[in-house]
Amino acid sequence: MRLKQPSAKDKPAVRLRILASLAWQNLLHKKLRTSLTVAGIAVGIGAVYFLLSLGFGVQRLVVNEVVGNQSIRTIDVRTDNSKAVKINDISTERIANISNVKEIGKSYFFPGNLKINNSENDSIIYGVNDGYENLTNLNLIKGSRLSDSKEDNPILLNKASLEAMGLDKDLTQVLNKSVEISIPLSKIKKDLGKLKKTFKVVGVIDSGSGSEVFVRSDIFRGLGITELTQLKVGVNDVENVNTVRSQIENLGFETSSPVDTLNEINRVFQFINIILVGFGGIGMIIAILGMFNTLTVSLLERTREIGLMFALGARSIDMKRLFIFEALLLSISGSIIGIIGAYLLGIVINLVMNFFASQRGVHEGFDLFANPPILIIGVILFMIFVGLLVVVLPSRRAQKINPIDALRRE
Amino acid sequence: MTSVKLPVDKSLFTTNNLMLTYTSGDQEVTAIHPCSLQIPEGSITVIYGSSGSGKSSLLNILSGLQKPTKGTLNFYGEDVYRQSHNELAYFRAHELGIVYQTNYWVKSLSVIDNISLPLFFQGESKESAHQKTLDALRRVDMEKYAHKYPVLLSGGEQQRVAMARAIVSDPPVIIADEPTGSLDTENGNMIIKLLQKLQKEGNKTIIMVTHNLEYLYIADHLLEIQDGKIEQIEQDKIASTVRSMLSDTRKRITGLMEDGK
Repeated sequence: MRLKQPSAKDKPAVRLRILASLAWQNLLHKKLRTSLTVAGIAVGIGAVYFLLSLGFGVQRLVVNEVVGNQSIRTIDVRTDNSKAVKINDISTERIANISNVKEIGKSYFFPGNLKINNSENDSIIYGVNDGYENLTNLNLIKGSRLSDSKEDNPILLNKASLEAMGLDKDLTQVLNKSVEISIPLSKIKKDLGKLKKTFKVVGVIDSGSGSEVFVRSDIFRGLGITELTQLKVGVNDVENVNTVRSQIENLGFETSSPVDTLNEINRVFQFINIILVGFGGIGMIIAILGMFNTLTVSLLERTREIGLMFALGARSIDMKRLFIFEALLLSISGSIIGIIGAYLLGIVINLVMNFFASQRGVHEGFDLFANPPILIIGVILFMIFVGLLVVVLPSRRAQKINPIDALRRE
Repeated sequence: MTSVKLPVDKSLFTTNNLMLTYTSGDQEVTAIHPCSLQIPEGSITVIYGSSGSGKSSLLNILSGLQKPTKGTLNFYGEDVYRQSHNELAYFRAHELGIVYQTNYWVKSLSVIDNISLPLFFQGESKESAHQKTLDALRRVDMEKYAHKYPVLLSGGEQQRVAMARAIVSDPPVIIADEPTGSLDTENGNMIIKLLQKLQKEGNKTIIMVTHNLEYLYIADHLLEIQDGKIEQIEQDKIASTVRSMLSDTRKRITGLMEDGK
């Protein structure tokens, strides 16, 4: 039984490493053609990557700017304009008892005035509890949070308030300084008049572009102000935000959540990204046609070689795989070069844009391009998929080559 | 089947009413007329015929590349063309070493990789295939050309390298299609000697196609083919047949020369 070897059909075909090496050597043999094809793919995929990276980068900038330090698992609760329902201990308790509510942040805020040394500035004065500090990323850049401070009357100042008073040069020097706050509270409760109190700076935060300061909510509570300005409700999961919101609204309150804004921004950017990919797609189509052309010409040129390989014992699956490897090598190398090129171009453009921005007085650096791993992997996988699609026809033709006709070809 | 005295008892290939036809335009052309023949194991079989006589068609059938229109081809008693495509590929990779008249190469590969191809198709690793390739190259005295590209070698050198490719997987059968066709006498003789050596020392079965009377002397077994009709010449009649062929040729040439005057 020499022919019908029991394992004849199961015998391994050519090792994949060898097929890859044969494919690689063939591509190297036609250096100019391979380089041009890879360059075509690199430009096409680079254009798509560059535009998507810009889209994601700008989206990130906008999200950071708009949503900023708000957690998307939080819901802001306010009273409606009629003030028919109030945010007091009873309603806070009812909200806290809603299922999936994890934490409640209480806040008062009033317009007021702050004074350090001889500098004075109008500001919004927030009275917040620990829950509020936990639910809001206050972006502490110096010192400690209110809840971590052992001071009796601690205060957090934001950078904008210090800038307004010209004290933002050395933030360390601001710590432990005394700040005098005055808040007219007569509108809230007639007998309270004007609150004047001295606090000690325990930390500096980077939030908002207007002057904001944060003190403990107990101060206002101690004055008998039981009606809170706003609640921040922390939900255990983003999925539950909408359910909790509707339950809170059923109690007569108005709610808003950073999720709303985020969803809106994402929706707009989805559309923008599709348009950007559309532009990049034109380059991609040219690259795909170039790759198809290269593989087809390669097949025609190598018909005799493929015939020879069949005569020497190659199986049709081996020849199919050989072409698939060539397509994969072209698409992977093209997409890696394209992504690296787009990444470097992004860095250069970002540097230029930051330079122009600093010339116009924007000192905070920004990054216009985002390079998340998912985008890099996604683009490479996409190109591999395209490569496999492009090679279907040439590889099928390679499989069907008749070795006798092929060897007779001149 | 006519009884023909073979140089050895055991048949490697046997054909049974094997026939090959093809259509050219509206016409059906018979490339191989029905034939039943044997190719003995471990001997040199020469297929002799003029251009277009059907030699290459017969060789393609023996190589497992061309399915006959009718009849069967058996290899060690097994019907070759009842095998699947993959098994035919396995047959070509394991049982046959082929040398062509024209040197066919995969141009992007060096000599060592070109010769390793039959081993690659058997699933061997690069390291092991290269090792065997260097041995094969040593046997044809071409080891120093291992890392050159074959197309850069002379015709004679290329044919020797092609011999190395045919023997690299140590197949029992070497099929040589006009292996001396494009060579000068010196290189041609060298290839013929190599084939003889392989048969004698390696106990290979050699099947050589030629249209050159000069090399018929090496045949243990002769198949003469004319217009697709194959005649098996018995071993003890080979010498007289060759003499008769030479005499016919001489007569034809003399006649032509006299007509020319």
